Amino acid sequence: MKLSFEGVFFTYSTGVRALDGIDLSIGSGEFVAIVGENGAGKTTLVKLLNGLLRPDGGKVVVGNWDTAEYSTAQLAGRVGFLFQNPDEQLFERAVQREVAFGPRNLGFSERKIASKSMSALKTVGLADHAEDNPYDLAPFERKLLALAATLAMDTPVLVLDEPSIGQDAAGRRRIGRILRELHTMGSTILLISHDLDFCAEYAERAVVMANGHILADGLVEKIFAQNDLLQRAAVFPPQLVRLAQALKMPTAPLKVDQFVNAYSQWHRRKKRA
Amino acid sequence: MHGTLFVSGNSGLHRLHPLTKLALTFLFLVFAATLPNLLWLLAAFVILLVPMSAWGGLLRPFLRSCLVVITPFVISLSIIQGFFTPGETPLFHLAGFVLTGEGLLAGLTVASRILMALGGALLLMLSTRPDMLMLALTRSGLPGSLAYVVLTSIQIFPRFQERAQVILEAQQARGLEIKVNIFKRLRLLVPLMGPLVLSSIVDVEERAMALEARAFSRPGRKTSLLALADSPGQHLARWGLLLLMLALIGWSIWRAISS
Repeated sequence: MKLSFEGVFFTYSTGVRALDGIDLSIGSGEFVAIVGENGAGKTTLVKLLNGLLRPDGGKVVVGNWDTAEYSTAQLAGRVGFLFQNPDEQLFERAVQREVAFGPRNLGFSERKIASKSMSALKTVGLADHAEDNPYDLAPFERKLLALAATLAMDTPVLVLDEPSIGQDAAGRRRIGRILRELHTMGSTILLISHDLDFCAEYAERAVVMANGHILADGLVEKIFAQNDLLQRAAVFPPQLVRLAQALKMPTAPLKVDQFVNAYSQWHRRKKRA
Repeated sequence: MHGTLFVSGNSGLHRLHPLTKLALTFLFLVFAATLPNLLWLLAAFVILLVPMSAWGGLLRPFLRSCLVVITPFVISLSIIQGFFTPGETPLFHLAGFVLTGEGLLAGLTVASRILMALGGALLLMLSTRPDMLMLALTRSGLPGSLAYVVLTSIQIFPRFQERAQVILEAQQARGLEIKVNIFKRLRLLVPLMGPLVLSSIVDVEERAMALEARAFSRPGRKTSLLALADSPGQHLARWGLLLLMLALIGWSIWRAISS
């Protein structure tokens, strides 16, 4: 589903101007990483997508809906949202009921609710915990549960705020794999993260924000290789990029296998020369 | 400080030692209980409390808070006392009930006693940081854990409000419609209150551990980052205020016996 921000401004009641004229359009099925330092406006930007915040000026469009005309609950059917802290939403006595909450709000049929929640639980690897109390799960499992609760809503757009935080290698890989799968199935994905290694591995496009502006927008390979740009945005470059730069390689591939190929080619050429 | 009545400032009132202000608050409480009639009470309010709030640069918030709290008391007490106290001077008839002058006066007197006590408490709260007050109290012997309980209960409300807002957003993002009719509202309670209560319980444990990690229950005297300024004059004044309170209480007991 297409998303667009047209000349969007937003100022908090404290007087902080969080978004200062944002123009951004995201095509259906894109996987976009939004990066930038704390307070750059990333979370504010995505909260406009489901009407948790309303722009002071400009227009935010989700699919063919102008968000100004829809409530958050309505927009929730189009934009799924994974918040940073799962404890701010879990309340049910059983994991399965927790996952069913969103789909039920959206008015799915009982059969669809059951099938969507069960498959979401399987996807995140919590199917065995369906009857457990959410608060008996470990913190990283609660985050996966919150992800399942979002997935079960079956939205065409998915917004994730720091999904990889607090996850071990297995959890990180699992979340990455889930996102990749959703991406191939055509979901539009927005990923907010300080973890550029994670972004580099899974996202296609990167939007760099600073002070309520968009500093740069383009393919992750292009954006993440620009050290000075990342420095200006106060984000830490991915490890492979730093390694490539330390080796003075001409390119900076973002995935391990690509890096290995590029490195051996470059190394061979250098030896010959 | 967020979520309390405290208004920051650097006036003489702000700089008074918290215990001095607490003594004043108690004095005004004694005033509220012992001054004989409406005239005395109002005079004390206008001559003492109002100038003190002005001294602290707090006149506007002081009067506004007084007005907000006292108005419902004035109305309800005037009606109840006015209609149900027998008296010689009927002012007003309504459906067989008579509003008497004596009743109205009695109602207003009770309201002015409340105003007096309230004003004293407001002066303290508007001009004193709660942590400073607690520090002063622990220095003079209040158990530290009790001070902590008082302080956290003051500070928990804004935290609660913030968290409630975040939860509201999270559940709306999961499709919860909150603009529904009054009967459906009840059903919103569980998804909104659930996380609030549960996460607060989780919080308690973490908070307890964090406190212990910072030697909360270590025996012995603790030092504080906050500095309390006191002076021999204020120390003397507090004893003076205490004596004045005792004298007022004695006077009012003597009046009660002799009448």
